[in-house]
Amino acid sequence: MFLSGAICVAAVSLELATLLLLVSKGVWRSYRLFFVYATWLFLANSAILVTFLYLPADSHTVNWASRVYPALYWNIDSIDVVLRFVVVWEVFHQIFPKSSGLNKSLSKGLAIVAFALLVVACGTFLIYQNYTGPRSIHLALDRSFGLVQALMILGTMLMARYYGVRCGRNVRGIALAFGGWVSISTATNAMADLAGPFLPYWYYLRPLSFVVMIAVWIWALWVYEPNPPIMESEPVELGQWTEDWNRTISATRTIIRP
Amino acid sequence: MDRGLESDNLSYTDHHTAMINLIFFTILGLALFGSFIFIALQGSPKSLPDSSAVQAVTEIIALEGSSFANARRLLDDTDYQALCSNPDLRRLAQRLRNDRKQLALTWISSLQNDLIRLWRFRRFLIQRGVPSSMSEELRTLQALSLSLVLLSFIRLSIRAAGPFALPRATRQAGQLVDSMSTGAALVLGRIPAAGWAEIERSWVKSAA
Repeated sequence: MFLSGAICVAAVSLELATLLLLVSKGVWRSYRLFFVYATWLFLANSAILVTFLYLPADSHTVNWASRVYPALYWNIDSIDVVLRFVVVWEVFHQIFPKSSGLNKSLSKGLAIVAFALLVVACGTFLIYQNYTGPRSIHLALDRSFGLVQALMILGTMLMARYYGVRCGRNVRGIALAFGGWVSISTATNAMADLAGPFLPYWYYLRPLSFVVMIAVWIWALWVYEPNPPIMESEPVELGQWTEDWNRTISATRTIIRP
Repeated sequence: MDRGLESDNLSYTDHHTAMINLIFFTILGLALFGSFIFIALQGSPKSLPDSSAVQAVTEIIALEGSSFANARRLLDDTDYQALCSNPDLRRLAQRLRNDRKQLALTWISSLQNDLIRLWRFRRFLIQRGVPSSMSEELRTLQALSLSLVLLSFIRLSIRAAGPFALPRATRQAGQLVDSMSTGAALVLGRIPAAGWAEIERSWVKSAA
């Protein structure tokens, strides 16, 4: 009980610190969607903390007050599952800005992949038939979409690495901490449903990893270091080059296959 | 976040689908977590490709492996057989075989380098905003990996069984570079010669 409360207080304090950092340095203007998400986290977790302190859940007594905390916690968690896509979008948008050629080339394909991943998330959520109550449903929802979000972040990072797009400290920190937390959250909450003895650890491991994520965000945002712009070339009049290249290719073909 | 959340009576099911589902999530979640840790430990990627990629800019038209003219002759065993038919010349035949083997291995290495160079160059162009599509990118990657695997297999076969064991397959290795070159050509064709010079200049400047 004490440790849970301490983790909750630490999380809210760090979220407040993140918001102050974003506002005081004016960084929020560059990361608006992330700022929206950080604000949501602060408000939601403050509400959870207040309820935890004043209307704590009690499994021995059955009255309205004891039901408020679990209901609030799981409902906030479910809204959070959806809002997390805001961070995914922010990371993608920062690494591949809309004006960049990479975005123009790959956005259609990536949109199809993202849609397919969402279908998979919905599928895995619906397939899991063993919901015994709200808690189980929320856990399944959380891990189904958490997995997809982790895959999206990882895919974006790998794509950036593949094309040599450099990530600044801010986006890199946000993406890696978020991806790490979402994936560990997915694994731990599956383990909580899978193995009963793991349940006590789950109560601490998930919020603790969340606190670590916020701490990494603060570290990442401490210095304003956005992504360096991607140098672009001007794709105009392609004729001459195509002609030269085709000549070279046909020469190569003739040499290899005389 | 405390035990009060455990308001539902959880029945730890032994239902197969649910178990598989949960094991899948556990393993994948941990694997993803490991990947993020790995990326974090690796540090930030370089903003620009390495010097070998810079070389590609100047060498792209003169690919070393592809420009080798005598592949057919190199892998043709007529001379070797002729020498072998004469008992006095068998030692010479053996030396010829060894020389051909070294040349063939060098040639395959050059082809592999050509493929990698073309692939790096393509990545560079796409990063610089040359239009492409996801399917095109995946096809290139598939062609590259298959080609490299096949070339490695041919190298192994030459090492193990000599240069005349798989002449046809070895000769056809050159076609792999062709297909990669065609892929690169599609992308390169979208840039004007003037734009290309600008790319090369800025690349060399950044690498300096």
